[in-house]
Amino acid sequence: MHTLYIAQRELKSYFTSPLAYVVICLTQLLLGVLFFMYRGGFWQVDRATLDRLFEYAPYGLCLLVIPVVTMRLIAEEKSTGTLEMLITLPVNDWEVVLGKYLGALGLVLILILTTVIYPIAMFVWPWNLGTIDWGPVKSGYLGLGLMSAAGTAIGLLISSVTRSQVIAFFVTFATLFGLVVLTGFAGDFANRAGVGTVVNFIGFQSHMTNFARGLIDTRSVVYFLSITIFSLMIAFRALESRKWK
Amino acid sequence: MIHADRLSKVFGSYRALDNVSFEVNQGEVVGFLGPNGAGKSTTMRILTCFISPSSGGASVHGHDVFDDPLSVRRSLGYLPQRAPIYPDMTVWEYLEFVAKMRGLDASTFRSRMKKIVEVCGLAQSLGKDIGTLSHGYRQRVGLGQALVHDPPILILDEPTSDLDPNEKAELIKYIQQIGKDRTILLSTHNLNEVEQACARAIIVSKGRVVADGALEDIRAKTGRVRYVVVVDEKNALKGSAPKDKEVRELLEKMKGVERVKEIPTDDRAHAFELAGEQDGDLRGQLFRAFVEKGWVLLELRRDAQKLEDVFHELTRSDERLARGYTDEDDDDDDDGDDDDGDDEEKKG
Repeated sequence: MHTLYIAQRELKSYFTSPLAYVVICLTQLLLGVLFFMYRGGFWQVDRATLDRLFEYAPYGLCLLVIPVVTMRLIAEEKSTGTLEMLITLPVNDWEVVLGKYLGALGLVLILILTTVIYPIAMFVWPWNLGTIDWGPVKSGYLGLGLMSAAGTAIGLLISSVTRSQVIAFFVTFATLFGLVVLTGFAGDFANRAGVGTVVNFIGFQSHMTNFARGLIDTRSVVYFLSITIFSLMIAFRALESRKWK
Repeated sequence: MIHADRLSKVFGSYRALDNVSFEVNQGEVVGFLGPNGAGKSTTMRILTCFISPSSGGASVHGHDVFDDPLSVRRSLGYLPQRAPIYPDMTVWEYLEFVAKMRGLDASTFRSRMKKIVEVCGLAQSLGKDIGTLSHGYRQRVGLGQALVHDPPILILDEPTSDLDPNEKAELIKYIQQIGKDRTILLSTHNLNEVEQACARAIIVSKGRVVADGALEDIRAKTGRVRYVVVVDEKNALKGSAPKDKEVRELLEKMKGVERVKEIPTDDRAHAFELAGEQDGDLRGQLFRAFVEKGWVLLELRRDAQKLEDVFHELTRSDERLARGYTDEDDDDDDDGDDDDGDDEEKKG
């Protein structure tokens, strides 16, 4: 129960500040531009598909949304001292970590859900631009969810080892940039040597393309879940380490 | 109720606590005193299981801080220094959150709130965002959250630091009142408050307990009493009016006087503070000496040593270190260090 109360409080606090609204609006705007205009956008593809959405969404999520949403999670509580108030309530450290994680993930998922407006508006109502294959759409959203779970866990981990939100933001940004963008490049370059496959596997994008194509690969699911669990465990340890410092 | 056994805490190369042992029994209100950085907050954080001691152990309400931190936290209400509270919540929301976390159901919470609103004076601010409240009000909210589950033990870290004098007086009154059936450990810089609210005090300095006992015993600890002498500066019964040098010389020569210090006063009088043996009484001797000189004695007073003086004496080495002095020189107290708790916070 404690976990849920903390998650609830966390999620609510996003909406009492302008943060949630700014992030949601900005992302929608950016996604709209990318989806419809960049490189001819959706029209250029000339098929009833959301490929473009699933191609660009990971960038928006990992390079903007997740760093912004997770930067404050624990860093802010540390610097303002509210962490002491929270932890000296009868809660376990893991409940604090998990609660905060779920609160942040909740916001990210809400944001992802708001993009469902694309397939609905374009293929169901009010416009009907063709018959869409819902399979890849569902698996694509599952992929985005899993990827966000992993990314948010990484952000939480980084927020738990610093007191500064700015540092938390940039380190999370850099880490996710590495996972989303750099591994893509590196994978392409190193492809011949075989190393490319490994590097590709480490990055997010190779897994996301599968999901967008309608392929739910167990390896990808396990991959994202392992990152999530691993990061949460380290975040828990980092929080606990205050006792011994 | 609270039992600390040889607690030590080391932050890097800094020894914040060094073998601190004490006990607080049921129904006691104990003042926890010490200069900034003496280890008060560190001790309290260990007792609330926020941090762990480097060595030693502690138990609260019979629960060990290592084995059963949740039971420890359940049995106590804690107000950390500066009352850090989420600024984006309203007072009611925050207290409700704490109550939920403490497992109170809605109806118990509501009935507790009536009492808390009255005690902490929160009626006007329940709907306000905590971020918009003044420090004093935030402190009240902090106290409210510590009381919400009606705990048998309260640990309050400088609860009065940001309050105005009226609020302080009220809070102290309240602590006296609830202290009748509760155990309270209260840290503060304000020695008056301790004298009003507590029967017992623990004084820490540089991470060690330097005094622990009933206030009376602590006051007697230096083995001295204090005299205040005020002499008319303008008039005399015979001869000329006394100069401050003359008065000082007379007092310094007097048998049994250990320390003479001029204290500030208006320009009509000279005032001096003396220290004498605990058992002796110099008042007669002082009076006769002044009559002999023909000086007009405006005031003569003998106090038990003030708690403040004992505090100064016991913790002086701390202050000297902080100011970078190395060798002993004569008494230089009474500079009224109104510290604000910053140092200690950083070390935590």
